Amino acid sequence: MTTVPIEKLDNTGEDPRQRPQLIMNHTDFGSVTTDILRANESARAPKSWYFALAISFCMMSMLGVLIGYLIFTGVGVWGNNNPVAWGYPIVNFVFWVGIGHAGTLISAILFLFRQKWRTAINRFAEAMTIFAVICAGTFPGIHVGRIWLAYWLFPIPNQMDMWPQFRSPLLWDVFAVGTYFTVSLLFWYLGMVPDLATMRDRATSKVKQLAYGIVALGWRGSMRHWHRYERAYLLLAALATPLVLSVHSVVSFDFAVSQLPGWHTTIFPPYFVAGAIFSGFSMVMTLAIPARQLWGLKNFITMRHLENMCKIVLLTGSMVGYAYSMEFFIAWYSGEIYESFAFINRAFGPYSWAYWIMVSCNVITPQIFWFKKARNNIAIIFTASLLVNVGMWFERFVIVVTSLANDFLPSSWGIYEPTWVDVLTFFGSFGLFMTFFLLFIRYLPILAIAEIKAIMPIADPHGHGHSYYEFEGETDEQAKAAEEEQ
Amino acid sequence: MSSLNEPNKNGRTWWRSLDEVIATEEFNTNLKGEFPEGASSLLATGDDRRHFLKIMGASMALAGLGVTGCRRWPKENIVPYAHRPENTMPGIPEHYASCFDFGGISQGVLVTSNDGRPTKIEGNPEHPDSQGATDAFTQAAILDVYDPDRSRKPTYEGKESSIAAFKEWIGSYFPKNGKGIAVVTEPSSSPTFERMRRAFMKKNPQAMWVEYSPLANTNQQSGLNSAFGGNWMPVHNIANATTVVSLDEDFLGAGPTQVPNTRGWAKGRKVDHGNISRVWIAEPSLSVTGSKADERNAMNPAAVATLATYIAKKIAHVDIAIDGAPSLTSEQHAWADKLIADLQHAGKHGLVLAGVSQPASVHYLVAGINEKLGAVGTTVSYRTVDGDSNATISDLASAMQNSSIEGVVLLGGNLAYDAPVDLNIASAIKALPFSIHLSHNEDETSKVCKWHVNAAHWLEAWGDGTSTDGTICIAQPLIQPLFDGLSASELLAILAGEEVTDGQTMVRATFSKNADQWNPAWRTAVHDGVVANTNALEKPPVNRKAPSGGTVVGGVGYTACFVPSGTVWDGRHANNGWLQELPDTITKLTWDNAALVSPKTAKELGVKQGDMLKVSVGSNSVTIAALPVPGTADDVVILPLGYGRTFAGRVCAGAGVDIYPLRSSANAWTASVKVSATGETYPLATTQMHFGENTTPGKGTQERLPLLFREGTVEQYNADPAFAQHVGHSSHSLSIFEEQQFAGAKYKWGMTFDLSTCTGCNACVAACHAENNIPIVGKDQVLMGREMHWLRIDRYFAFGSDGHGGYDENKLSSVAIQPMTCTHCENAPCEEVCPVAATVHDTDGLNTMVYNRCIGTRYCSNNCPFKVRRFNYFDYFRRDPLRSTGLLQVQPDYYVKAQSGGKTLRAMQFNPDVTVRMRGVMEKCTYCTQRIQRVKIATKNAWVKKTDAQKQADQRVAVLDGSIVTACEQACPAGAIVFGDLMDENSRVSKLHNEKRSYEMLEELNIKSRTKYLARLTNPVDGAVKTEGGHH
Repeated sequence: MTTVPIEKLDNTGEDPRQRPQLIMNHTDFGSVTTDILRANESARAPKSWYFALAISFCMMSMLGVLIGYLIFTGVGVWGNNNPVAWGYPIVNFVFWVGIGHAGTLISAILFLFRQKWRTAINRFAEAMTIFAVICAGTFPGIHVGRIWLAYWLFPIPNQMDMWPQFRSPLLWDVFAVGTYFTVSLLFWYLGMVPDLATMRDRATSKVKQLAYGIVALGWRGSMRHWHRYERAYLLLAALATPLVLSVHSVVSFDFAVSQLPGWHTTIFPPYFVAGAIFSGFSMVMTLAIPARQLWGLKNFITMRHLENMCKIVLLTGSMVGYAYSMEFFIAWYSGEIYESFAFINRAFGPYSWAYWIMVSCNVITPQIFWFKKARNNIAIIFTASLLVNVGMWFERFVIVVTSLANDFLPSSWGIYEPTWVDVLTFFGSFGLFMTFFLLFIRYLPILAIAEIKAIMPIADPHGHGHSYYEFEGETDEQAKAAEEEQ
Repeated sequence: MSSLNEPNKNGRTWWRSLDEVIATEEFNTNLKGEFPEGASSLLATGDDRRHFLKIMGASMALAGLGVTGCRRWPKENIVPYAHRPENTMPGIPEHYASCFDFGGISQGVLVTSNDGRPTKIEGNPEHPDSQGATDAFTQAAILDVYDPDRSRKPTYEGKESSIAAFKEWIGSYFPKNGKGIAVVTEPSSSPTFERMRRAFMKKNPQAMWVEYSPLANTNQQSGLNSAFGGNWMPVHNIANATTVVSLDEDFLGAGPTQVPNTRGWAKGRKVDHGNISRVWIAEPSLSVTGSKADERNAMNPAAVATLATYIAKKIAHVDIAIDGAPSLTSEQHAWADKLIADLQHAGKHGLVLAGVSQPASVHYLVAGINEKLGAVGTTVSYRTVDGDSNATISDLASAMQNSSIEGVVLLGGNLAYDAPVDLNIASAIKALPFSIHLSHNEDETSKVCKWHVNAAHWLEAWGDGTSTDGTICIAQPLIQPLFDGLSASELLAILAGEEVTDGQTMVRATFSKNADQWNPAWRTAVHDGVVANTNALEKPPVNRKAPSGGTVVGGVGYTACFVPSGTVWDGRHANNGWLQELPDTITKLTWDNAALVSPKTAKELGVKQGDMLKVSVGSNSVTIAALPVPGTADDVVILPLGYGRTFAGRVCAGAGVDIYPLRSSANAWTASVKVSATGETYPLATTQMHFGENTTPGKGTQERLPLLFREGTVEQYNADPAFAQHVGHSSHSLSIFEEQQFAGAKYKWGMTFDLSTCTGCNACVAACHAENNIPIVGKDQVLMGREMHWLRIDRYFAFGSDGHGGYDENKLSSVAIQPMTCTHCENAPCEEVCPVAATVHDTDGLNTMVYNRCIGTRYCSNNCPFKVRRFNYFDYFRRDPLRSTGLLQVQPDYYVKAQSGGKTLRAMQFNPDVTVRMRGVMEKCTYCTQRIQRVKIATKNAWVKKTDAQKQADQRVAVLDGSIVTACEQACPAGAIVFGDLMDENSRVSKLHNEKRSYEMLEELNIKSRTKYLARLTNPVDGAVKTEGGHH
């Protein structure tokens, strides 16, 4: 197989008459399988993978130790206080749930809208979702005062005949995040079955054969299998679609349903959903850029993919920016002194630094994607996506902390300062996330191999004089000639 | 173990053991038979305390002797009473009257005892000063009994000794005739102590007798001596005063007469025929009184003296020149003229008070002014006090210097810490051949003394005292001394070689000559805690001897004012965790003292809160953190005493800075000082934050203050009594969900706080601490904002405009003092958001906290608009209250560590009716639900016994108004807190809820608070002018 330097091919054209090429330099199915699974199937992973895994694993262990310390000592090891009873843990929870948002959007909504470019990123975006939700779920679990009783949040029948309090948004959270996690996991796993079967078939050792064999659920690739599979996939996609809107709406209810100035806002559900998509796509880019480099996937995750994501980031970033300004407008328009103070205080009070970090990262940074040059520059994309991640963390910090720190009675106003435990726990959650993610890219198919094959032109031979290859510079005649050669 | 094998000796007859009185022989035989095997022989072994503790499991069997006769450690053994003492029900607390001395004035108390453990102190309703109320110190005193740092044994030269050894030593070594001996005592109002003093002086006529307390009002004593001749004490009746003028006298602040003063002042603040009293104050620091005054003028202490001479000249036509007194500015003159006119208008209902910092001549002048006004008898009376010191502390110091003193006996006090610095008392005592120090804790003075004798706490000893008006009070012990301490009278009796050295017999002998006979009057006196009709007020003879003017300091450079601390007083309460963590009324500072300066002076010095200042007098200096307080006079540095103890215990270790090194005999209250910023900083743990002038939060505070704290002048009130309800938003009572319905409710609990009379004295906060087992958290946790007070007192400063759309911190226009606790909202926001239903309403309208159900999501706290919920971030009762904690934030139980047997001394104080909360749960004010339940149960039991007709008439089982008293309400000397049943239309709380002055805080949130506030009324001279800033 010949390889062409990727830089020489450009699939980022905007001409609607020409269908862009989504898989570069591959014309047959076999090479696609081999190239995608090359890193998985090589005896040794790249050195950098071991290095990254070692760091991530250390950070994850640190998280474990810190949680142990927390349980044995008390949640006072964090910086939470009165009035700021929610600090880093809830900020981190919302941050991770937001990141976990892109997965379903990509896998479900883009699937239903027949966005073919999604196939190159959906698998690891879904994996990212699963791992992010695991990180997110950790925080509310350990943030309660009596961690050993956190299971009381679940509606488990018990001898006390005591149900949870169904009016509480925290309980809605439990259901929303729980449902989201379950559906995302099923969706992810279901989509992976054909690829797992591929890995089983290509496995070189007994152990791998057995392991992939078990998880492949006896997939044979028969027409009936494919038929059932695609029906199920479509159904799950339809089921998952409302979750894209629900989960973060419900998370936003944690704030919107309370009566705290700065939290009690009707704009929160759409604003949170937009913010979540924004942060989710940024995280996908943050992960995709090094992964495509390391795993040699530039032919599959192409500049066009990155560019599309940049456009979504630009759109959602602007929506978030609109929400920020609308909050201010409504605060002023309401004539409510507590409400207007909450917003003036965000921008000019003791936490104004956090507010302006948020605004510059979330509103100003994505504007660079108006320029095609920026959308096609890996360094700019990577930097911007990192900044958006930072900004979105600060958004949650601003919402949670500034509103609590200065609410109704000035006598209770306080300042929240995280402790070293807060900060290291947050870093530790990245360790957890990255450990899972690194194990995923080594042992599971990072891209949806079967689906990618389905969007290759070769999978869809039209005949009858229609074009085979619909990209720039190629005519039907050339295409036919090429076919005859084969 | 006198209490056990010699029951006749220690306070049992009075109690309840009829068995013992009627059949002594048989009783004793039976008693011995009931001991566990071998116990009687153990009991007979004498003073071995550990031995005694080992067999304490048997003590239930001994309870027939009288519960109060025993030490009651917490026990695991459950043994039923063989003979239940009459009227004693396990689990039903009992109350005993007692009293203790504070600054030479007896404070009347009623102590709650739970199964033999004193657990809570209330005011004694029979006591003329208390009338059922207390101050914060009294509330917190219960913790001292169980202070793990208490000294447990007498020591000689630092080695453990015993009372027996001490007595033996006295017998052999104590000099005869008192030659070369000095006795130093604290002011005492005890007749028994006085009797013992006479006995001692009779035996030791050459002894030197010194009375010393760092905060004693010696200037007043000498001023009144000049005015009347002899030792006189003024007794103020502020309730009768329509105009009160305070010359730097914080009469509403902490001190021995805070309770009667506050009550009297509060009476005068009730609108009567459209009028309330008016308080004028001229003072350097913003005091509690200053914060409540109608007319306040911040001036340095020397100017206050000038003001005093000016008033005296105008009213009493007396003129005394005081050295160093500056002339008044024209503004001050104008203010003084208004003051004088008002005072003259008030006539005999006028009252002038002068503070401890003012020279004797001012006190002399004040006596003259009051007399001229005709106030003697209406607003001020006098009584004579024992004042038989034959030497001063300076005499003692020079006697020690020239070696004419061989030894000292220090009955209480802490000379090594608080004596004037120029006297070098500590080193002088150390050099003496012998020295004896009686004290509750081993302190700085114990360390320099040869003998340290551990004192009995006043809850462990018999005693007596005299209230402000001279009424004799009797103190009875609530518990046998936990560590065998002696009271001062007992020690003095031993030194005097008295035959009787047992407290009860001594006090009884003072009460009546026939101490051994049956005396119903004695029983009544002990029961009531006071001896009826012993009031000793009189009109003093006019025996003028004009004093010299003296000298005052101020006006040039910086002036330091030494003031008592509102939380630890002169340092004696430093090891009390509740008081250390009590936020100061004005500064909201805990665990430290600070140099209080005006915002302008702070700017001049280039410091802000927490920046260190070096304050020096001559060659002595201290370094202390600055804390700008609006309303402080410019160029004055207020230095609260009592902190920086070096050898007192673990709680106060490292708390604050010792100011005594700046205080000399000549400059006891004020001193000319040099002040400079050192550039260092120090964390000050305030419970309220200061955000800086004209910052966003600062402006936000000023903007919403009129909504939260509503106040108006009495003129405004007369014009529109409902003025407070016309502030802010009107409530719209639409709900998107079904509101709490309270179907079948029999009661509707509610509360009011009267902002007019609340002074922020903190008595309620301390009472809440004691009643509800609230932990202290330590300075590091207060710094993190995790203090646990269920009831807090919010303090806001309202400022005048700076003319550029902002405000000016130098223009203090009002100080808002606002108690805040759970308001038990009917639409409680906390309940909506709890995912596990741990906070729910009961039908009577209490917003209850189910600790067992709480998992600690803290969402309720976030959604509470008042932020009154408190979260247990740690097991605070398992934490060392020290100021810093290591990595393992929970340390082995501090209280366990401190004592033998693994029993927690501290746990003995706990109120058994209130759960001790563990970490990870939320808690908050319950409206003292345990007290509500107790009364409800009693009412229901009584109801059952009623006839059918009566039952029909009272289907609701109504509780009598006033029968349920919350801990805060009970402590409040101003009567500013009222709790009751809103369903009873005639209850006090119903009437107050309907009063036009009442308003609901954050009413626009439609939360329907059960606690309402009564707007504050002020009475400035020109009320109409003040109203223009009205909040409409």
